[in-house]
Amino acid sequence: MTALGQALPHDSVLHRRNPTVKLAVFFVVSVVVLVPVDPWTPLALLVVAAPAVVHAGRIPWPTLGRAALLFGPFAFSLLAVNAVTRDGPVVAEVLGLEVTRTGLTVGVALALRTVLVGTLAVAFTLTTDGARLMTSLHQHARLGARPTFAVLAGYRVLEDLPGRWTTIRQAQSVRDPRHRRGTLPRDPGSLSRAAFALLVVALRQGERMAIAMETRGLGSGPRTVHRPVALDRRDAVFAALVLGVCLLVVLVTWRAGLLRTWSTV
Amino acid sequence: MIEVRGLGVTFPGTPAPVLRSVDLDVRPGEQVLVLAGSGAGKSTLLRVLAGIVPQVVDAEVTGVARVAGLDATTTPTADLAAHVGTLTQDPTDQLCLPTVLDEVAFALENRGVDPGLIGPAVHRTLASVGAAHLAGRRTAELSGGEGQRVALAAALVADPQVLLLDEPTALLDPAAARGVARAVRGAVGDGRATVMVEHRLDELGHLPARVLVLGPDGRVRADGPTERVLHDDARSLAGMGTWLPLSAELTAAGVGSLERLTVDPVPTSVPGVRVLSARGLSVRRGQRTVLDGVDLDVHAGRVTAVVGLNGSGKSSLLLALAGLLPAGGTVTGGSVGLVFQHPEHQFLARSVHDELAWGPHRARLPDVDERVSAGLDDYRLRGLEDRDPFRLSGGQQRRLSLGAMAVCGHDVLLADEPTFGQDRRTSAACADALRRLADEGRGVVLVTHDLRLVGEVADDVLLLRAGHPLALGPVDDVLADDALLSRAGLPLPAVLAASRTTGHPVRAVLRALRTATLPAPVRA
Repeated sequence: MTALGQALPHDSVLHRRNPTVKLAVFFVVSVVVLVPVDPWTPLALLVVAAPAVVHAGRIPWPTLGRAALLFGPFAFSLLAVNAVTRDGPVVAEVLGLEVTRTGLTVGVALALRTVLVGTLAVAFTLTTDGARLMTSLHQHARLGARPTFAVLAGYRVLEDLPGRWTTIRQAQSVRDPRHRRGTLPRDPGSLSRAAFALLVVALRQGERMAIAMETRGLGSGPRTVHRPVALDRRDAVFAALVLGVCLLVVLVTWRAGLLRTWSTV
Repeated sequence: MIEVRGLGVTFPGTPAPVLRSVDLDVRPGEQVLVLAGSGAGKSTLLRVLAGIVPQVVDAEVTGVARVAGLDATTTPTADLAAHVGTLTQDPTDQLCLPTVLDEVAFALENRGVDPGLIGPAVHRTLASVGAAHLAGRRTAELSGGEGQRVALAAALVADPQVLLLDEPTALLDPAAARGVARAVRGAVGDGRATVMVEHRLDELGHLPARVLVLGPDGRVRADGPTERVLHDDARSLAGMGTWLPLSAELTAAGVGSLERLTVDPVPTSVPGVRVLSARGLSVRRGQRTVLDGVDLDVHAGRVTAVVGLNGSGKSSLLLALAGLLPAGGTVTGGSVGLVFQHPEHQFLARSVHDELAWGPHRARLPDVDERVSAGLDDYRLRGLEDRDPFRLSGGQQRRLSLGAMAVCGHDVLLADEPTFGQDRRTSAACADALRRLADEGRGVVLVTHDLRLVGEVADDVLLLRAGHPLALGPVDDVLADDALLSRAGLPLPAVLAASRTTGHPVRAVLRALRTATLPAPVRA
């Protein structure tokens, strides 16, 4: 995996797309898939989307699979809860609970929707540099300079956090004369004291960074961007293509009589 | 360029002003060095000039402070930044963006400079501070010295008329400090007014022509040509706990050269029993071996200094000795305490008293109250018992972190850069505390890149380079070996070079110089 907020270190079609456009397209697709509650529409979208992001983002299958797996438990819980809580013809009984056909259909649909949105989120994260996203939001989505750079500075603090956390835990564990060689304490008291020290240290660093940014003129007026994030026709083509395919799939499942919504389920 | 009249600053909750009636005029092109003891308002003066106090950091400010024709106490910090560049101690506080290019371009972007002009200006400025090769790097990957050079470039890129430097080399190893000092010298150029606070005067190469001295009461004590002020005021400057160049220190001691100093012999420490023994110690971090094949015996009553540049494996060695890192090889011996570089990382309690009591309580020692009481006295913490450790001054935090570890009565005490960024008085207090612990019969291992501190307290020196031991021997032998020090990349401080001509052991010479220049008894 990559470090937090860093894209996979190679170039690809998805890497080159404008981050704001990517984010907007991802958002629209996520909203569109809220409509269908049949399994076929999200399944068809997933069948199209997964190879598409693997190819366009040059994301190795195992990397995408491992990351998307993180959404597995949530998807499964949606399936399980819906399967046994919705009215409809009973198809099975599990642990004394009645599994209905409607529940199964909706549950599978919601689970597949979760995996689809997860796959798209992972593809977005693995092909988008956090800093370029903030610059692009500042440039193209009119996000203010202060929130933009507050997030970027916060990201810098975050980068140092794992190392600092280890140092603090080492520093505090050696204060205990009974500390054992080679182990760091994991009891709640020790962890909360380490978290408090980490919080104090990170907050103070944040304060000093805020001052450093002010002393370099942040917020003094209109600003320019020296390495602007590109926004061109190819981004429009990308958006049109993704949204077009998405709508086409929905259209096909509707025409095939497979599409179900909350009102028709 | 800078006009300060009757400046007074009082921070909320503090009884006395930190600055009183300060007058300062700095012309374009002029450079001023500000000297003062800890807490005497050096940094506050710079923060007023940068528009931070009272606008971002609340304080009651009286008098006038005009910078580039603007009132620094009311002009928004960001607007004042069009004329003022600031560089502080710690690169991690100043590098706010993910890449070096973005970092250096930031000040120009904020001023709305034409994007086409920013790229060339960024590369030009990076080159001017010797950091052209860092242009493609991420800021999180930079070493301290590299980070400080990038931060300097970020401060200089908008070509400020005023440059404020607040101890820019304080946290660097000697080689990196010299590199940054060189870059700073190059930056104080044409028409730019510079106000600088700096401790490591011998490493600056050449001092600014003018010096302003602030007394402990926050008033201007002297303002004039550096040579004259350092000479005339040397004694009181030394008494305030300020670091001085060697020539001024000798003046303060009332001698023309170290050879003329009356040097009393100091007792040689006799090695006691072996309290810790490490054999074939090695540490890996990821794919990298950061420490390889180190053998070390720690004896009661002896201070062993571990020296080397950043990245030489010093801190990893301490962590391995304390059993805090998985390491190859063996470590056998008594109980070990470790004082970390940043005191805040080690605090566990909400009051100074509880902080001192923490270790003895956990060890279920019978005499906790006595130990706490002795700690309060030995580390000058009386009167601070109820204060929150996180709210103490840097020097007080340092003393508390040393005291809290010392009261546990470990057989071995390890200390990682205990004098980092401290003024001379606190450094001397740390040195005394470590010496005292050894004299009490503990084994002490001290990691530092301050060779003067090594000369003051150490009996033995282990020299590391890139994780490998270069030498281990008595302090006078190691510090006398130029070839060895140069292989370790450590330049010899002027005072140590001069002490060689005296024919006395280095500790005796430094002790005599201390006694002659810091008359007040220093107790850690």
